[in-house]
Amino acid sequence: MTLEKKHISAAIILIAAAVISIITGRQFLAKHYPETFYPSPGLTRTGKLSDYFSGLQGTENDSRVYFFEGEEEGSTVLLLGGTHPNEAASGLVAVLVLENVEVTVGRLIVIPRANRSGFTVNDPMEAHPQYYSIPTPNGERRFKYGSRLTSPLDQWPDPLVYSHRPSGQRLSGFETRNLNRAYPGRPDGSLTEKTAYGIVQLIKKENVNVAFDLHEAAPEIPIINAIVYHEKAEEVALNAIFELEMEGISVSPELSPSNFHGLSHREWGDYTDVYPFLMETSNPIQGRLRGETSAELIVEGVSPEYRMALESGALQIAYKETGEPIERRVARHVTCFRRVIEAYNQLGNKPVILENLPEYEDILQNGVGAYIVAGK
Amino acid sequence: MRRVSMIAVLMIMVSLSSFPALAQDKAETAAECGMKFAQPVLISSAGQSADVKLVGMMAKRMKLKAEVKVMAKPEDLEGMKTLIVVPGFSAKGLGAAGISQKDEMERVVALVEAANKQEIPILMIHIGGNARRKGQSDAFNELVAKNSKYMIVVEQGNEDGFFTELSKETGVKLETAEKIPGTMKPMKNLFE
Ligand SMILES: [Zn+2]
Repeated sequence: MTLEKKHISAAIILIAAAVISIITGRQFLAKHYPETFYPSPGLTRTGKLSDYFSGLQGTENDSRVYFFEGEEEGSTVLLLGGTHPNEAASGLVAVLVLENVEVTVGRLIVIPRANRSGFTVNDPMEAHPQYYSIPTPNGERRFKYGSRLTSPLDQWPDPLVYSHRPSGQRLSGFETRNLNRAYPGRPDGSLTEKTAYGIVQLIKKENVNVAFDLHEAAPEIPIINAIVYHEKAEEVALNAIFELEMEGISVSPELSPSNFHGLSHREWGDYTDVYPFLMETSNPIQGRLRGETSAELIVEGVSPEYRMALESGALQIAYKETGEPIERRVARHVTCFRRVIEAYNQLGNKPVILENLPEYEDILQNGVGAYIVAGK
Repeated sequence: MRRVSMIAVLMIMVSLSSFPALAQDKAETAAECGMKFAQPVLISSAGQSADVKLVGMMAKRMKLKAEVKVMAKPEDLEGMKTLIVVPGFSAKGLGAAGISQKDEMERVVALVEAANKQEIPILMIHIGGNARRKGQSDAFNELVAKNSKYMIVVEQGNEDGFFTELSKETGVKLETAEKIPGTMKPMKNLFE
């Protein structure tokens, strides 16, 4: 009798474990299917990062590269989204741009998922959702929400200390999977370093003149609503920030430190001819003070806990009373991106003319969903 | 009963007169108080935020005879008639300059003291809004505000009346602008 009971409970536990494994396994596998994008008619061709560095072939990070080439010759701009796949606005802006933009002069290259591997997992212990959805006039469009870092399944184990090459700068071991600590990258390094190397090769081979790396950060991080620029791009950055201020969009200028290595705004500028710009918006789900963690928090950006922190006045945080909704974060990035290019054009460089991108107020009023395809 | 209401009215009047926004309305602008600063101008930072570069750009657009030295030292004051200091802390900026917060504070104290000693008036221009307030910024903000002859502040940085209070405490004139480009007009008035 007792023996039978034991068998029954063991069987129940086994079945429960199998059911949980199947459900979570399916969820996990689903995050490996690539997202579908719907490029605007302005798309002239696509490529892959492995076109620039064959070592990425067959890896999760052989990301797709989209080209929009104008009829008239001009400068070349690179837009990188998804360096950190937990910074939703970054990847979303790249999608919005590639699904709308028309280039009349010069070229625009978009990599919407710079660290694709990071989109297949979530950061542990954060209770982050796997997806978030943007409402569009024709239904919801779902996007992957990922991890700041390359998936440990694609790059493992982490060393105790990450030693950046070639500077020798030492960081915590997990930073070895942080794409924005890996530049200029190495052809014989980790997957993250190879990805960084591929991107730098692309910048060189395509003669990119201006490059953007989009990010978001927790409201309590001091570098927020900011444009970080390499010293050689200072004039462009300051002119753009001045124009943005005229429109009522406050942006802090931040000069890239020369002794902090592995970051796009430093190494792209040091190792190539490009003018690099890194831009940050405020994303409450990344913050330590947030409460309930949900997909709504990514999209609506409303956190009562951050509001309390704001009202206490004790902290310097980038959080507005009404929250930090995705519309405003996307609108900021799109507008900063445009104004930097305009400032670059105005300073006598060979121009790049992008058309059909929404204005700041348009995005605030109509929502991001008005500018992306509903999808399936 | 009448006495109670009289006291209430008096209390309201007293509190209104000390209300920062109203006090600010009464503050004279550069043009009204006739204060003038002379050129050439040395523009430096206090806290190494890149805001100082934006002020430099505006000075250039106004064709002021000005030089931006983010790491200005007392000897850079030679031949200068005005010192503009743009306060605001930036960890990235300190990294770019390769110095610590303590080094920066010592540099600013030395620069401000030298300017005071040589009777070179200091004009404070705070344009960084919230991003250059509280945290590690306010020590720089306060030091510069207290040693200046005039303060131009973008409103967002004074939402809590921080600079208004400092102005009342020290008698240093404060003029606010809604946005960064709006600081050009008072700057221009001061140098005309
Ligand atoms: Zn980031």
